[in-house]
Amino acid sequence: MAFDYQVIVEYLPFLLGGLLVTFKLAGLALAGGIFLGMLVGLGRISTINWIYYPVSAYVNFLRNIPLIIIIFWVYFILPIIVGKNLNPFVSSVIAFIIFEATYFGEIFRAGYQSISKDMVGSAYATGLTYWQVARYVTIPIAFRRMLPSLITQSIITFQDTSLAFVIGLHEFVTRANIVNNLEYRSIEIYSFVAVVFLVLCYIGSRISLHFETKYRRANVL
Amino acid sequence: MSDVMIDIKGLSKWFGDFKVLSNINETVKKGQTIVLCGPSGSGKSTLLRCINGLEPFQEGDVTVDGTSLRNSKTNLNTLRQKIGMVFQRFELYPHMTAMENITLAPRKVRNLSRQEANAKARELLERVGIPEKADDHPANLSGGQQQRVAIARALAMEPKAMLFDEPTSALDPEMIKEVLDVMIALAKDGMTMVCVTHEMGFAREVADEIIFMDQGAIVERGSYHEFFNNPQSDRAKDFLEHIL
Repeated sequence: MAFDYQVIVEYLPFLLGGLLVTFKLAGLALAGGIFLGMLVGLGRISTINWIYYPVSAYVNFLRNIPLIIIIFWVYFILPIIVGKNLNPFVSSVIAFIIFEATYFGEIFRAGYQSISKDMVGSAYATGLTYWQVARYVTIPIAFRRMLPSLITQSIITFQDTSLAFVIGLHEFVTRANIVNNLEYRSIEIYSFVAVVFLVLCYIGSRISLHFETKYRRANVL
Repeated sequence: MSDVMIDIKGLSKWFGDFKVLSNINETVKKGQTIVLCGPSGSGKSTLLRCINGLEPFQEGDVTVDGTSLRNSKTNLNTLRQKIGMVFQRFELYPHMTAMENITLAPRKVRNLSRQEANAKARELLERVGIPEKADDHPANLSGGQQQRVAIARALAMEPKAMLFDEPTSALDPEMIKEVLDVMIALAKDGMTMVCVTHEMGFAREVADEIIFMDQGAIVERGSYHEFFNNPQSDRAKDFLEHIL
């Protein structure tokens, strides 16, 4: 059986339509997950008990459950609670945001904690205000330290979006599966899917490596 | 005009239940260089941090150049512009060049133009002996050079007093002298200085007085010769035996 490129070419618009859904889901999951993660990170270093304990419980709870279960929960259980059916896309976005926020939250926590008390003190000692210290010292340093981890976690999130397959979201992998059911060209179709993920994620990891090397050289990490 | 730069009155501080500073009463006159020494954990660094408001305290007051830290109207950011501080581990901003480290506060706090701030920074780098390092990042500087940039950064705000928190303890022996030389020149120039240090050569050369602390309290205060040749307390005698 020869490798048949034709099947890919024929269904390319359909497959790329699925990839677009994947990008949309990943984009919203990252935007929401990173934003919520910043707050989760702050909650995890909070000295206020009623912030620290609930946030820590949330992080520990979700991080110890497989993502696929979270996707099922949000899709099947959340509608019962809110009394309204959710479509697979909205449901996936919610599941990914609350799941990824726990991982991003831990990255932010580490970033905030990596800045020593004396570093902040030395900035205050020159007369800078709280917001100036944050703007020119704390945030730029924390961001540089976190950037490689943020990119890596973003790549993982991007790959994880394929799990939305289980609730029938028409993303890239789901559509590849549909094409396969029609054409029985598993090798071609799934190899194509793998190559697309490989190329996109490899580019992402090179970008991450670039920043890591750059900041390590500058001794910021 | 009072000749007192730093006036500490009845200062006490607790970390939880633990009393780290106990009824401190000291004054530092304008132009004086004071060396603060004592065993580790004696509260030296904490006292230093109370002077510029980096550490809060529960009792007493500190007045710097006539401004009280206890007064709720006192703007700590404004007060800190008058007092430079140098830390044990330099604490330069790693993402900025030496020049940017020095000019950040003058530009953002004193609103100097980039040009004015850079000119001032060059002058200061010249003064601490490393004009050629202006565009280097801290990672490319030796410990001694980093500490000299840190001193220049503090001086850039034209402070009336300088606090040094063990400025040479994180340095390799061959770099200690280059930092001490800068500090000695500063003291001889008339800067008011409070230095937490065990560099007794430095103390002998420029310290007007030595304050010895133990367990959160001032045990002795006197000139270099009084302190070294005739320590009054057993704790000071014991301490001197250990460091000499």
